[in-house]
Amino acid sequence: MKKALILVAALTLVPTFVAAESFENAYLQARAMYGPGAVFEWNGKQYAAVHEEEAEADIAATAENARMMVDKAKAKNKEVAELGFEWKLTRGIIKDAESALTTGEYRKALDLAAQAKYHARMGIKQYHYAQSNWQLSVPQ
Amino acid sequence: MKIIKTMAFGVGLVLSAQISQAADSGFTLETVNPEADRVALQNYFKKRFPDAELNDYVNGIYAVDSNSREQWEEIEEFPPYEFAVEEGEVLFNTTFANGKGYADCFENGGIGIRQNFPYWSKEEGTVKTLEMEINECREANGEKVLKWSKGDIAKVSAYMAWTSRDQIIDIKLPENDAGAMAAYLDGKKFFYAKRGQLNLSCANCHVQGANIRIRADLPSPQLGHTSHFPVFRSKWGELGTLHRRYSGCHKDSRSHPLKPQTETFRNLEYFQSYMNNGLAINGPGARK
Ligand code: HEC
Repeated sequence: MKKALILVAALTLVPTFVAAESFENAYLQARAMYGPGAVFEWNGKQYAAVHEEEAEADIAATAENARMMVDKAKAKNKEVAELGFEWKLTRGIIKDAESALTTGEYRKALDLAAQAKYHARMGIKQYHYAQSNWQLSVPQ
Repeated sequence: MKIIKTMAFGVGLVLSAQISQAADSGFTLETVNPEADRVALQNYFKKRFPDAELNDYVNGIYAVDSNSREQWEEIEEFPPYEFAVEEGEVLFNTTFANGKGYADCFENGGIGIRQNFPYWSKEEGTVKTLEMEINECREANGEKVLKWSKGDIAKVSAYMAWTSRDQIIDIKLPENDAGAMAAYLDGKKFFYAKRGQLNLSCANCHVQGANIRIRADLPSPQLGHTSHFPVFRSKWGELGTLHRRYSGCHKDSRSHPLKPQTETFRNLEYFQSYMNNGLAINGPGARK
């Protein structure tokens, strides 16, 4: 848990220059190879490959917490939809999270909501990336 | 021959534009240059597929993939869209309850005009597509509007395309009209921006990925994309409109797809159709 917190802080703080990119690469590589939570080293420090949302959902599995997480996912997905970069499966995942909530499966609801919120955040990131990079593949 | 000359001239244009406008030429409202885009796209595919004829790009993937072309030519001998065109003609000529008909809504009675769509309407400040005007015609005459993707709207559109075969695509970008240019740029940007869970742009498949196997499929070059719509797809077993195809392809990047005739899709159609200026209408078409 502590490691995850360190990571989240790093992801938010490191500005977007080259170093940030290689941190992200190290992070993604660790996650792809060893799965969520994999520990990796970057610039001499240890980090855990945990998404911001997974850390966020790592709380007591109560109805209240699950509801809060689902609401956050919905809000984030609304934001990305308005930017035109909503992903295909996100709405369905939110729906599944909501039905888990109604059947009292709060852990499941928390995890699904975390996944949906992650999708939405990535879509927003894509939107911002596109603003300055969309022209790269236009034939000249 | 004429075409080749215009293209050579176009290359000059692109080069000089780059010199005079520096790095980001063509990517902002101030610098976007649709004619340079069109010529650059043609040149790109000319280099990629030196054996393909420019005028053949209206045949999609079959212009560059000889393996599937033969099969497609056989299909075209007994075109699967034939009945739909006949039905479209009947629908087109059936008068509305008020005694008027489609012919009253369009220039030249709606015959041979497909090549001018979509166009920028200054009055309405938006891109107008043929399907949109078909439904507006119905609405203005007290008829129910049709569903956008398939069925009657595709049949009427197919008949109108049929009467326009061999007409040269002629999409206009009114000069000194920032709205029209913004719509074009929006469409262009949509086409080239990566999106969805797979992080793919339309261009990743239809420019850089053209005729390169992506899972089980070969994406066509984007040049020529709009000329033959609506299209009869074997996969659908029926006709579908261009925006039906847009929705499907949008989803292929694992994005939540936009709905047919939304502003973004109309802008996309405006951009794509402008790329095809100079090519001939050959709708409706047949595809896998
Ligand atoms: C994952 C790759 C992929 C992506 C991304 C993709 N397409 Fe496609 N597209 C295909 C394939 C494969 C076909 C079917 C083969 C073909 O091109 O006719 C197709 C077909 C089409 C057609 C019909 C071509 C014809 O000749 O009938 C159009 C138009 C089209 N795509 C537009 C788009 C647009 C616009 C986008 C972006 C929103 C897009 N595509 C994104 C793979 C893709």
